[in-house]
Parts: sequence; structure tokens; C-alpha cells
Amino acid sequence: MEQSIITIENLFKQFKGADVAAVKGISLSIAKNEIFGLLGPNGAGKTTTISILCGLFRQSSGHVVIDGMDLSSNLTAIKQIIGVVPQDIALYPTLTARENLDFYGHMYGLSGKDLDAKIEKWLANFGLTEAANKRVSEYSGGMKRRVNLIAGILHNPKILFLDEPTVGVDVQSRNVIISYLKELNQQGMTIVYTSHHMEEAEHFCTRVGIIDYGNIIAEGTPLELNNKYDGCNKLEDVFLHLTNRSLRD
Amino acid sequence: MINKLVAAIKKEMLILLRDRIGLAILFIMPMILIFVMTLIQDSAFKSLNEKGIPIIFVNEDKDSLGYAVENGLRNSDLCSFNDQINGKYITADEAKKAVADGKFLVGIVIPKNATNAIRKNVQELVESAFSTDTITTNKTQSVDSVEVKIFIDPVTKKSFLTSISSNLREFISGIKTQLMFKTFSDQLGELIPEKKQMTSNAYNNTQIITYKEIYASETMGEIVPNAVQHNVPAWTIFAMFFIVLPLAGSMVKEKIEGSIVRLHTMPSSFLLLINGKIIVYVIVCLIQFVLMMSVGLFFLPMLGLPVLDLGNSPLGIFVISLATAFAATGFGVMMGTIAKTEQQGAIMGALSILLLSAIGGVWVPTYVMPDTMRQLSVLSPLNWSLDGFYDLLLRGAGVRAVLPGAIKLMIFFLITMSIASLVNRFKRNV
Repeated sequence: MEQSIITIENLFKQFKGADVAAVKGISLSIAKNEIFGLLGPNGAGKTTTISILCGLFRQSSGHVVIDGMDLSSNLTAIKQIIGVVPQDIALYPTLTARENLDFYGHMYGLSGKDLDAKIEKWLANFGLTEAANKRVSEYSGGMKRRVNLIAGILHNPKILFLDEPTVGVDVQSRNVIISYLKELNQQGMTIVYTSHHMEEAEHFCTRVGIIDYGNIIAEGTPLELNNKYDGCNKLEDVFLHLTNRSLRD
Repeated sequence: MINKLVAAIKKEMLILLRDRIGLAILFIMPMILIFVMTLIQDSAFKSLNEKGIPIIFVNEDKDSLGYAVENGLRNSDLCSFNDQINGKYITADEAKKAVADGKFLVGIVIPKNATNAIRKNVQELVESAFSTDTITTNKTQSVDSVEVKIFIDPVTKKSFLTSISSNLREFISGIKTQLMFKTFSDQLGELIPEKKQMTSNAYNNTQIITYKEIYASETMGEIVPNAVQHNVPAWTIFAMFFIVLPLAGSMVKEKIEGSIVRLHTMPSSFLLLINGKIIVYVIVCLIQFVLMMSVGLFFLPMLGLPVLDLGNSPLGIFVISLATAFAATGFGVMMGTIAKTEQQGAIMGALSILLLSAIGGVWVPTYVMPDTMRQLSVLSPLNWSLDGFYDLLLRGAGVRAVLPGAIKLMIFFLITMSIASLVNRFKRNV
């Protein structure tokens, strides 16, 4: 295993006023250049874990080191090297795709011709050049997802956090998104990814962690997990085996 | 840093320019308000300042007192004098009916023989003074009194009535003094015949004290308070504070749409993003200000309304309008931070501005408010601003006069920003 780029030790998070902790002492190590899938049912603690890693809110206790820097004391520096693609379409609907990307690019410290070139490159890669000057509110769900992704990778981050990046998109858009994410990973980008889409995760992730009730209950490559549990031929079987078939809120 | 701030400003401007409803709220609504409110209030201010209150006068006396009161009322700026209806002189009963019908606010009747009654009273007073007979002093008490009738429309303000009745007392007292002087002169003339003509003329030709009402102002000219001088600054301030709606709305949208989540994961401070909003909305407020002043300077006169007088301190106007812009923006940022939904932001923003503007004297000037409300008005930042504009536009003051108000508005801005920062920290510290 390559050198760890994210190390999590006993991460614990209890929201104010909540009876139960959302994350209960997770310990995890994610290697450089990995595509790590954090999988779990609704309310398992995936988004809370990723939100802490992105600096959206502080952990109640525990220790996180990202690229050799302690998260609590180096948040600004860590924000420079991470990219975040939230589950919501975090774009301004009345601005065009180009205007949105120009704004977010500046917020990452990019500017001038360098920023323009990156915007044009990614718009072209994701087939959005022609629609670049249209308002995002006029886009289809798939187009919005693609712009949402570009906004998180414009600055070429070392680590990319993706919270269900392909939810609600058609197969074509999903294939394009996954294909480019794999390309970015091959270029050295570490990807931390959450999804409910087990088949996608199985093909996309180099390693997965299954989280439930705030704990990591299984960890390994999809193949390792399939082999580990009897009668499981695919990641979805493992997931259902470990998290039960009962409905979750 | 500068690049980020410029990008934040550019983004805010683009969002604002594409929000047609927001633009209408910011620019068209206040312009309409200025037109409507000024036209509505123009007649009320006119009755106060220009034409005066409509008065119907009945002179049954047809002698010195009646003519003196008639001349006095005709020449008074306080009232609009009438002694005829449909070209005919009227009786006391007709005057009473005209007031009851709302055609006039006040009716004044000087009764028949009023001057004679005064004359008789004075004559007996003087005679008693020159007489050695002590019994005559009791006679004066038996003289008929003069009863001047004043019919009042219930809507007439007490302050107008006080002015009218005090003027009447002054006329009656003047006539009484004049008659007394004449009677004394006549009595003296009988004792010293060579002085008789001189003394009576001396009184008639002398007017020692004269009065002129001038609005206290530091300018050389006289700026009369009118609907334009009140409404243009008042509704401009209201419009500037109404940016709370689009500003708070845009902040709530960022939260709901998820942009704020992404921005919190970026290496840019939240303050920088807020600064982008503040700069844009302060500029918007200043544009609003220029537009609203243009309405007062160029458009209202086209409707026959007075031209807005900007006083003599452009620097003072800039200082108070800039401080108002900051206060309004700070209030908007605070509302946008507190509100969780767009509806919450709109309702809280609109209600708070309506309340603060009502208290602050935007709808009704503070000088016509009851004492309690007037004391409350000093709590409203809109009042600090409006008072500054009154200093500049009505009292003709300079920049120094508006500094205390401007400082209060800037402190209000800092307080609202601090509250917004605390609320933001509290919300993120989940």
C-alpha cells in the first residue's frame, strides 16, 4: 500500500442536541492515488465523515491528518489541496456555466489566462462548450452534475471528495463523469467517494469502506470483500449482508 | 485577495442584474412610493405651509373690531380667508352649516355691536379713572361682554385652533387698547385742548412691534418644509433599507442551493465573500439615492410639486447617504444570516423595515407624532438618517451636523455585522 494521504483516528461526531453520535470512533487510512469508496445506507455517517474531512464542521473528538497536516490546525492550507463536489448542485442558477466556473476558480486562487484555459478545457471535455454561456437554470440534470464536478476539479486538487456525484444523471453522463474521474486518478489525484450505487462503486473504487451506524464495519478492495463473505458475488451482496435488508430512514 | 474580492463583486452584480423582481423592488417600487406619497401628502403639507387652513368669516359687527379681524385674517399666512359662499355674504347659521359640511375647517363670527360693547366698556373704565366718585368702579362690571363665535370642524388640529384663537385675542386686545387710548386722549383733550390731535394720531400711526414667521434654517434663504422635502429623503431611506429583501434572499438562496457549502470548503474567507456583497449593495444604495434625488429634482416639479432643495452641503449628503447605505447593508446581511428560508427572510425583512420606518418617521414625520412615539423614534436607524437629511435639506446645516447620525449608523452596521458573524459561527458549530 502506498503512503497514506488521509489518516483518521477515532473520529467521533455528536451533533448538538442529538441523542446518538453520527460518527462513533472511525479509524481509517486512505492511500495516495486511491479511489476510496465510503459506502453505507442513509444516515450511516458517510456525509458527516466527508464534511469533517472537508472542514465544513469540526469533529467532537479524534484526529485527522491530511497530506501530513493536522486538520484542526491547518484547515486553510488543507482547503488549498482538496476539491469538493457536494451532493447538491452547488451552482448559481442565474449565472452561466462559464460565469460559475470563473467565480469558483477565483475562489480557489486561480485567475487570468490560466483559469480561462482550464475552464475551456473542462467544458470541452464534458461536452459543455456550446452551452457554456447558457444559464445553469436552463441545463438538464446531467449537465448540471457535470458543471458541479468541474467546479470541484478546476484547481487540480490533490484530493477530491465526491458526495454522490452521479445521483440523478443518465447513463451517458455517468459514463463521462466516471471516465474522467478515472483519468484524473491516473494523473495522481486521490478520490474519496460516497455513493448508494453499488455497481458503480464496485467498478470505480480501488478500495471501499462500508459504514453503518457511525462505524466502519468492513474495509478492503471490492474483490477482497466479495471473497470474505460467503454467498456474496458482488459488492451489493456484501453491502446487504452487512447492513441488513431492513429499510432505513 | 483582490482577485477573489473582484470575482465576488462580479458574481453578486451578475446575480442582482438578472433578478428582475429584485431590481424592481430596489429601484421602481421606491420611485413609485415617492410619487404617490408626495402627491397624497402634498395637500396636507400645503394646508400647513402654503394656502393655510380654510376659514369662513362673518362680520356682523361692521365696525373697528370686525374690520380689524377681517384684515388680520386676510393678511395671515395661517389661513385661507373667505367671507362669501357662491358670491354671497352669509349669516352665522350658514357659516356653522358650512363648517359642519366640511367646506371650511373653521368659522369665525364677530357679533353685531361687538365694537360698541368694547367701546362702552372702555368708556366707562376711563370715566371711572378720571372720576373721583368711587361708586363708578362697580358700573364696569355690568357692561355687556363680547362673544366671538368660533365653529370648528372636528378634524382641525388643535395647534391650528390655538393659533387662530390667540390671533383673535390679539385683535380684540388691540382694538380695546386703541379705543382706550382714544378715549384717554379725548378726556385729556378736554383738559388740554392743544394736545388732543397729536396724541390720537400718535397711536394710529405707530406699530412698534411686528411679527414675521420664518423657519429656523442656517441657509440664507428660507426652506419651507413641504411634501417633497419630507418624502424624497424619507422614502429614499426606506428604499435603501429595503435592500434587506434581495440581499437576505440571495444569502438564503446560497444556503439552500448549496453554494455556501462549497464556498466553506474553499480557501477563501467567509468575510471576503460577505465583503463582496456589502460593496455591491452599498453601491446599489448610492445609485438608489441618486435616482430618488433626481425624482425630487426633476420629475416631481413636472407634476406641479415643489422642487427638492438639497441644502448647501453636498459632502454632508454624501456622508449621511453612505452611512445609511452601510447600515442598510449590515441589516440585510444580519437578516440573511439569521433566516433559514427565503420566506423567513422576506417576512422578517419586510416587517422589520416597515416597523423601523414607521417608528423612524418615514410614514408620518416625527414632529406630528405623540410624545411616546417621538421618544421611541430615536431607536430607529431610519430616524438617525432622516434626521440627518432634515438637518441638511430643511435646516441648511453642514457636514458637522450629520456626523453624530452618521457615526450611529456606522456603529449600527458594525453591530449587525458582528451579530451576523456570531450567528454564522453558532450555526456552523453544530
